Amino acid sequence: MAFDDLLDDHARRKQTALAMGGEEKLAKRRDQGNLNARERLDVLLDRGSFFESGLFAKGIRPEARHKTPADGKIAGYGRVDGREVAVVSNDFTVVGATSSAINGKKIRHMREVASERGLPLIFLGESAGARMPDRMGAAGRAMLGQDAAEYLRDRKTPWVSALLGDCYGSSTWYACLSDFVVMRKGATLAVASTRVTSVAINQSVEAEDLGGWRLHTGSTGLVDMAVDTDEEALEAVRTFLGYLPSHRGEAPPRVEARPPEDGAADRILDILPDVRNAVYDVRDIVRCVVDADSLFELKARFGKSVVTGLARIDGRSVGILANNPKFKGGAIDVDAMRKAVSFLVLCDSYNIPVVFMVDQPGFLIGIDGEKRWAPGRIMNWMNAISLVTTPKISVIMRKSYGQAYLNMGGGRNSDEVLSWPTADLGFVDPVLGVHMLHKLKREDDPERFDSLVAELKQDSTAYSLAELYETHAVIDPRETRDALTRLLEVHAREGVVGEHKLANWPTSY
Amino acid sequence: MAEIEVKSDIAGTVWKIMVAPGAEVAEDDTLVILESMKMEIPVSSPEDGTVKSIALAEGDAVVEGQLVLVLEV
Repeated sequence: MAFDDLLDDHARRKQTALAMGGEEKLAKRRDQGNLNARERLDVLLDRGSFFESGLFAKGIRPEARHKTPADGKIAGYGRVDGREVAVVSNDFTVVGATSSAINGKKIRHMREVASERGLPLIFLGESAGARMPDRMGAAGRAMLGQDAAEYLRDRKTPWVSALLGDCYGSSTWYACLSDFVVMRKGATLAVASTRVTSVAINQSVEAEDLGGWRLHTGSTGLVDMAVDTDEEALEAVRTFLGYLPSHRGEAPPRVEARPPEDGAADRILDILPDVRNAVYDVRDIVRCVVDADSLFELKARFGKSVVTGLARIDGRSVGILANNPKFKGGAIDVDAMRKAVSFLVLCDSYNIPVVFMVDQPGFLIGIDGEKRWAPGRIMNWMNAISLVTTPKISVIMRKSYGQAYLNMGGGRNSDEVLSWPTADLGFVDPVLGVHMLHKLKREDDPERFDSLVAELKQDSTAYSLAELYETHAVIDPRETRDALTRLLEVHAREGVVGEHKLANWPTSY
Repeated sequence: MAEIEVKSDIAGTVWKIMVAPGAEVAEDDTLVILESMKMEIPVSSPEDGTVKSIALAEGDAVVEGQLVLVLEV
């Protein structure tokens, strides 16, 4: 047959490139229970949908070409639940998936196609950082910065990162630019590796302390979710993308509505405590309102007094921003402020209506918060909420005190404000209010104190707010799902997208 | 097995201790309930694990950052 030699050569070259960093390294990963870069694509993408870009790319240095198949970063297009995505999967078995001139071009092409054609971009992170000696000296510097949009994050399409091993350099940078980051426990995210860091600061450093899942899900908030296996991480990527449009010019996909289980509406009344000093987990209430099994929580271990999560109501994607009295009594601390703002950026960028579920005693005040920019962050949040152009609906369930009333969508900061009859509006807790306003303690004059408390409470009800038309409806808590469904029909009209004023906002706060 | 120190993130008074040493707990389970800001506020388990030791007694005053218990994970 004609071209036999050429085609044999093609097949051989393909086989060599697909062998990645060699059987020994691949076997070691298998023993550790971790997938390799190509197996990850098999799990992530719809079967048979991967079209590879740059299989025959290699490292730019002649002496490294024989050991750099695909130049260590596997790129291409595939489908997730039938929708096109662009993807870069780092192959750690090939010189640690280090960043180089050629694989930088691959990333750039994926990024440009994703932005221009409206595809989500997925990074499967596991990389050692800059390739040496390529990046040494002036010639190494001259390789950098040739793409002025390399780290531009304008949120034209969703970016998602999975951190699946040691992540330094590009895997870290792209995670920090992503809209959603999931980490496999045992992976690390840091500026530089433990080895480089130990040398630089002249003391030994543990990977988990430097950039483990506990640090990033609990303290920095840079990671949205930690899971146990590669498979779970890839599943989380698919799930996250299911709530989002492929690009900001379209509305999120609508799926079949799945009402919560029977009796869910009634259960709200069991979960909500009937005494003001008791707390509850607001996620239990959210689950009674949204579509069955649809709550996908983001940053669940960070700034826990606020819950942020994607969910669906009547099959439509919504962003739930709820206060959680279970943590710090719902008092909003600095981490919770950062979390709320990053969530508003996500929702505004991708046309996701925001539903505020409000029960908060105010911001957590104290010296620690002030040191960590609480006033600036509260205003950052207000600036963000003012710029959100997707529909905003708030539900005042119980307390909404202080300035945080506005941050949680009070007044004109939401398109619609619903209140439950249990709502309690005021500047502070009435007991504290009487103490502050009248300088009266209960033990001094219990009778007068109680009557002043009652007076202050009277002025703080949902109906008082409704008389002033500052809440548009006072509803039975059991009617919340129906009310939100109806209001989303009004505000989230088919095909209408927002202005994405927050799309150029920073990626970390 | 690693040990994790669970600390209070608010100031308050210990109202109820819900677990004993040896108890197996899941993430977000209530370990101790504090009284603070006129509310009963739980200290929740940061992850799945076993309670190793408890550092407080009911009625104790706690400050922010104070050790509540040690968890083995």
